[in-house]
Amino acid sequence: MSALLQIEDLRVTFNTRYGPVTALDSVSLSVNAGETLGVVGESGCGKSITALSVMGLIPSPPGKIAGGAIRLAGEDLTQASEARMRALRGAEMAMIFQEPMTSLNPVFTVGDQIAEAIMLHQKVSADQAFRDAVALLDRVGIPSPDRRARDYPHQLSGGMRQRVMIAMAVSCRPKVLIADEPTTALDVTVQAQIFDLLNEIQRDFGAAIILITHDMGAISEMADRVAVMYAGRVIEQGRADDVLDLPQHPYTRGLISCIPALGKGEDTLREIPGVVPPLHMLGAGCAFADRCAYRAPRCDSEKPQLQAHGHHPVACHAVEEGRI
Amino acid sequence: MTEATTFKAESPAREAWRMFRRNIPAVAGVIMLTGIVLATLWGTFFYDGNPYEIVWAPHEPPGVTPEFPLGTDYLGRDIFAGLIAGGGPTLAVGAAAAAITMVIGVSLGALAGFYGGWVDNLLMRITEFFQVLPTLLFAMVLVTLFSPTLFTIAMAIGVVSWPQTARLTRAEVMKIKELEYVTAARAIGARNRRIIWTVILPNAAPPLIVSATLTIGVAILFEAGLSFLGLGDPNTMSWGLMIGSNRAYILDAWWPVTFPGLAIFLTVFSVSLIGDGLNDAFNPKLRER
Repeated sequence: MSALLQIEDLRVTFNTRYGPVTALDSVSLSVNAGETLGVVGESGCGKSITALSVMGLIPSPPGKIAGGAIRLAGEDLTQASEARMRALRGAEMAMIFQEPMTSLNPVFTVGDQIAEAIMLHQKVSADQAFRDAVALLDRVGIPSPDRRARDYPHQLSGGMRQRVMIAMAVSCRPKVLIADEPTTALDVTVQAQIFDLLNEIQRDFGAAIILITHDMGAISEMADRVAVMYAGRVIEQGRADDVLDLPQHPYTRGLISCIPALGKGEDTLREIPGVVPPLHMLGAGCAFADRCAYRAPRCDSEKPQLQAHGHHPVACHAVEEGRI
Repeated sequence: MTEATTFKAESPAREAWRMFRRNIPAVAGVIMLTGIVLATLWGTFFYDGNPYEIVWAPHEPPGVTPEFPLGTDYLGRDIFAGLIAGGGPTLAVGAAAAAITMVIGVSLGALAGFYGGWVDNLLMRITEFFQVLPTLLFAMVLVTLFSPTLFTIAMAIGVVSWPQTARLTRAEVMKIKELEYVTAARAIGARNRRIIWTVILPNAAPPLIVSATLTIGVAILFEAGLSFLGLGDPNTMSWGLMIGSNRAYILDAWWPVTFPGLAIFLTVFSVSLIGDGLNDAFNPKLRER
């Protein structure tokens, strides 16, 4: 059986002043109904571009999907018309954004905004839509929802706004919910509440969730499966427990060792030296080579491919050759 | 999570209104403009005079004959009656011209800013073409091509003054369309037209409202200028027409041009005060808190 959402060999390019750069290169991901796929990686490694590709919201130009397929319940979204995409967005797939402060329209009340999302896809009266909106606000744990529905976004706290965003995203019971760093802008205690809410929502609605984050803690809490991305490619993929407990790729290992552990008495935060290379400067070899302790000549000349090794697929010459 | 229960729900528009009410010059502007509008609408009920009729000797100074408090012009027509009768057409042309300016400017600016690419290029080249034409000259050509009625004058003023509004709208739209809530609106399946109307333009409204208000003032001055040059509607009394027809005798009698000029000044001044007040009210940097 094929997965609910299947991304196959997706390739996205952007025209920049350095010429065309490849933002996503042969990215393959899949997620089933009721499952959570975590996508991790540093800033600029293609997580958000992956999400926007699925939604068909790549700014184009300069971006374009240059190859591959995105199948939602078998339908290839890369071939779908804009009208079809509009019908799917919000109804079949929805997105929660990183910044709850800026992702709500400041001039309308939150109730009206949720009601509008409902009316875009369902034939209901404005009154009914507003009542549904209030019910949704209640569902996402906003106290006195009928009063809050008449508030403007600036009157709500960040956590409340993110709840509103979630209410809006699930208003039409989408099959796929993409959460792009939904808690990055929130306090730690609020983060936990939002994750709990997402888990509940998933239980209720049976949605597939793609959780994009750079927070390994969030992954261990939320995800069933994990894909680690680096410079536009998936470099390691597998069940969340496997990847977290037995990371294979040096980058994944680095990410996990960067999680500060309580009570170990470590004074300094560990970090992976260096930064993600700019996309226009990617060479022929492994994009991580410059930052890698296991660098070998082959790493500079040949891109490692994602292939099964041990528990789960990984793209690394060193792992493949048994050097790690 | 903080509970925001201490202050009551207030829409951005209402908040702006609260700020506006505290702005004394702006409120003075509203009062003044209201007075002027009421005087032109209902003035004839209280002051019964025909502005077109020769009723007295020419160039009767103000304050001499109680029947004609502001005196008479070079033909012996009642100036006060002229002010009351001329206010309506002047204000109407100003408002209509501002409306036309806004409709053309906002539509083209929004399209150019939102779609970008060749649409933007095309519309901006058209805008520049209109922008480099000397506005008064262009308006004069338009008015003389068509017969000078209030409607054609308003159209002419609108047609020559929209480019600024288009540029302002374009800049606002380009700024707002990059914001996350626009992407979020797309992500719930809203179409472009809806995004422009319900997401981008309401958020771009404050500077556009200010600009519209100020445009009314400019349009009134424009109409006065055209009338002064003798290109106004000769059959309709307006403040500009009064100044224009009496300008030859300004050294013999100051009052036939001064009072309509004062009326224009007060109107444009009050409109500007309102515009500035709106600007302050909408500008969050100047808000308290």
